[in-house]
Amino acid sequence: MAEARQVPEVAAPAVAQGNAAYAWPTHPTYMGTDVQRIDGPDKVTGRAKYSYDIQRPNMLYGRIVRSPHPRARVVAIDLTMARQAPGVKAALAVVEPNAILMFQGEEVAAVAAATEEQARDAARLVKVQYEVLPPLTSVEQAMSPDAPKVFPDGNVREGAAEETGDLAAGFKAAAHVVEQTYNTQVQTHVSLETHGCVCEWDGDKLTAWVSTQAVHGTREGFAQALKIPQANVRVITQYMGGGFGSKFAPDAQGIICANLAKQAGAPVHLMLDRKEEHLATGNRPSAYAKIRAGVSADGMLTAFDAQTWGTGGAGVGAGFPLPYIYQFPNRRRQHKDVYINAGGARAMRAPGHPQGCFITEVLMDELADLVKLDPVDFRMKNLPPDAPDARWRAYFPIAAKLFGWDKRHPTGDATPGPIKHGFGCSANRWGGGGRGSHAHCEILPDGGVIMRCGTQDIGTGTRTLVSIVTAETLGLPIDAVNTEIGDSLYPFSGGSGGSTTAASVTPAIRVTAVKALDALKAKVAPKLGVPPADLVASDGRLHARNDRAKGMTWKEACRTLGAEPIAVDGEWQPGLSASGTSGVQMAEVEVDTETGVSKVTRLVCVQDCGLIVDKLTAESQVIGGVLFGVNYALFEDRILDRNTGQMVNPNMEWYLIGGPSDVPEITAHLVDQPERGVIGLGEPPAVATAAAIANAIANATGVRLRSLPMTPDKVLAALEQQRAGGTR
Amino acid sequence: MKAFSYVDAANEKDALASLGTERNQVLAIGGGMDLLGMMKDYLVQPVRLVNVKRLDATIARTPDGGLRIGSAVRLIDLIEHADARRMYPALVELAEQVGTPQIRNAGTVGGNLNQRPRCWYFRNEEFHCLKKGGATCFSVNGENQFHAIFGEGPCHIVHPSNLAVACLAYGATFRLAGPSGAREVEAEQYFQMPDHNLYAENVLQPNELLTHVTLPAPMAGLKSAAYEVRFKQAHDWPLAFATAALVMEGQTVKSARIVMGAVAPVPWRANEAERALAGKTLSEETAGRAALAAVQGAQPMSRNAYKVRVARTAVTRAILKAGGMKVV
Repeated sequence: MAEARQVPEVAAPAVAQGNAAYAWPTHPTYMGTDVQRIDGPDKVTGRAKYSYDIQRPNMLYGRIVRSPHPRARVVAIDLTMARQAPGVKAALAVVEPNAILMFQGEEVAAVAAATEEQARDAARLVKVQYEVLPPLTSVEQAMSPDAPKVFPDGNVREGAAEETGDLAAGFKAAAHVVEQTYNTQVQTHVSLETHGCVCEWDGDKLTAWVSTQAVHGTREGFAQALKIPQANVRVITQYMGGGFGSKFAPDAQGIICANLAKQAGAPVHLMLDRKEEHLATGNRPSAYAKIRAGVSADGMLTAFDAQTWGTGGAGVGAGFPLPYIYQFPNRRRQHKDVYINAGGARAMRAPGHPQGCFITEVLMDELADLVKLDPVDFRMKNLPPDAPDARWRAYFPIAAKLFGWDKRHPTGDATPGPIKHGFGCSANRWGGGGRGSHAHCEILPDGGVIMRCGTQDIGTGTRTLVSIVTAETLGLPIDAVNTEIGDSLYPFSGGSGGSTTAASVTPAIRVTAVKALDALKAKVAPKLGVPPADLVASDGRLHARNDRAKGMTWKEACRTLGAEPIAVDGEWQPGLSASGTSGVQMAEVEVDTETGVSKVTRLVCVQDCGLIVDKLTAESQVIGGVLFGVNYALFEDRILDRNTGQMVNPNMEWYLIGGPSDVPEITAHLVDQPERGVIGLGEPPAVATAAAIANAIANATGVRLRSLPMTPDKVLAALEQQRAGGTR
Repeated sequence: MKAFSYVDAANEKDALASLGTERNQVLAIGGGMDLLGMMKDYLVQPVRLVNVKRLDATIARTPDGGLRIGSAVRLIDLIEHADARRMYPALVELAEQVGTPQIRNAGTVGGNLNQRPRCWYFRNEEFHCLKKGGATCFSVNGENQFHAIFGEGPCHIVHPSNLAVACLAYGATFRLAGPSGAREVEAEQYFQMPDHNLYAENVLQPNELLTHVTLPAPMAGLKSAAYEVRFKQAHDWPLAFATAALVMEGQTVKSARIVMGAVAPVPWRANEAERALAGKTLSEETAGRAALAAVQGAQPMSRNAYKVRVARTAVTRAILKAGGMKVV
């Protein structure tokens, strides 16, 4: 059974140990300031070409035939009619007869035709005979003892129990005990750019323009699946419309695209549509937790006992960290992965953390209410010790001040009228950190600078970060740097996952730029009569450290190179990056108790990420993460028909994503930690939002929602139950 | 997509001549906001489309002081029409709530009234539902959180049109042109329940066109408003909404028309609520009581009982808003 593909956690120290040769500048010109994306104008004018936009001579369009059934046996696949359809140049079966299909959307066959419309029409002419088998459509069904055994090793995989301390003693010490069940939904990635690629063969060499978070990893994936040397594959990703953890490999559609292109002898464009995205390209697993937790009379956590489960779909795990952050000295947890016939999970923006955070943080507020403590005070009592990667003790007060937490009323807004306001808080952690990126730098005789790195900008601003660090190091304007990324022909860089890109790439760029500058200094030093070590580059000049006049302009310096440019390679080195972030969020909501509609009005995020490279793109990460969290809290839900197991909302009409009018006022307060080095920020700000919103809704209404998404029906049902006297 | 021919009708006569009698074979296209999606999803595969955007796209005063709106009028034109806004505020407010700016800029009044339901079983090809000629309404035992709370079935869609609800409230009539002339149909008679007409939502025949909406002159003392409850504020369908058209004498409601939307397969007139309001002094209490009457006969399904509460709120607030009172 496959596990959700993830970028492995980086084992890195929480504070950079220093690296004298390549140390980050102490008084930077650009780093840590607001630098606009260098490719912003290209993106907004359409000059930037995404994989979707790639056009090649004689290019065909591919289309995949997918199983409409969550579980079925393929009896026969007949491509005859499809092959004869107008414009069709290739058709292939992806699976053999007797193959068992385990989720709706699983790939069965594919066609390529001259136009996208012809390909869609032809795909419908592929005659697939299915023997429909009864599916497992829900976690409840899969776990029931009389459920058919659909997965070879059973529908449920039980993990080993984790136990620490003395549970019985913990509950004995408790003055209050909460016993509740919490759950989160399945969320799909909904990247704005869908998955897919354009594949073009030249003999036995493949060029693939792929929407991917890992150009090198995807090169390896193509080579393995197609049984060709890695050297024969080139993967290009110049611009990319988001992946959120779902785009680390060619995937089935990439391999199908390459095979169609081979069969047709022409390039093939195969990008998925929104429905395919929802069905077959990954998701965040659901999470359920039945918890008993105890707190002492003085507000100290004493015990935590949890049964947890969740589904990552067909054969994929659904793990998540629990309890999250806060210290329960005595605890036990037993987790089960439950398999159902639905698209498999993949890594998704902080895998596991939003689930664990929501469950723990809602529980924390319930416990705080029982001991009549303010949620912030209660958390402060139960946080782990302060550490560079665990700074919540500092951040809760900062957030409280920015937010105006002192104006929080006790649970239940007593204001008359149907509209209730409430505040909620929560905390998050994440790893991040760097590893083995390589780069290549050329300084040309005409003064030009090229910095090359085979990383990819998945929309976070990596291209801009490369230019900033290069320009900073060489003392040049940012637009003097030619940054070239997104191509597997460039030096190796890892996948953009786990919030590792900035911490992997920027040290490599720094090292490489310093090396290139050193080489230039060595050439220029004799001419200036200054030892190389005494030369510095700043403001477009190379000059003596203590005598700016004793130097030459960058162009003059480069001219001394004659015909031979400087060309150096460099790689990531320790001491410039670290791992581990912490953050705190506070949300304000407005709940209409007569409609059940909740609106998030305000959100404050206090977040660290080590040394900030570009303040503007870092803040954008925070804003994007918070929006992600708002959608997770209120709107997103993969809904399967309980009887057929087919998804009823595989679109953006009923799979709700907030629009402009749903966006709260967001305050992104970044904590700069230059002493730690670069860490990474893609995931952390998306973790705590839903929990803060849930706690704010409870603070507003006096009723607690323990299930995401917090839709009007759940709010109204909880209020109804409260009126009936059924809940606190 | 099946190849189709395209007729760019210059006028009503041309358009009618191009239509046929078989359902979904020849279809009129206005803004195409719904139809193109239906075709791309292979839900309809017409052989011919007839462009009706060149038909009457004007909003004109009628002799009796009302307005006559051509079906080809775009929603944005309706929204920007000063007389329409002054005379029929609920209609204009509901037009403003439709979709997105792009949809309002291209979508037409006729298209809004005649669009097909958004039921996810109807829209997803996998489900061969009753409305598509199948044997099952999947919502009955399935995912029905957005389905109807009124009506006996056998299909449980909610009618998707915003404007239709206001049309009923204002007592509009629709002009349907056909091969043998035109007929006028009251808005309330235009929309049909699934037990009368499973495969379409109204009386319009395949060889007919809805060409005009005529709104009668507002009665003296008419005060009207719409209130829509939606979850997402940007581009979402309402959970429920209501239009209240009250004929007032001072603070007393002489008569009322209350119509709910997104709660039934047709715009749902709340006769009980109208009776509950008539002769009463308008207040939060009378509005609330009328709203309770409006949802009295609701028969929610397994997952949409919350919509009863939402609809009740929409009615209360539409009445209060119409009366110029504080809504929340």
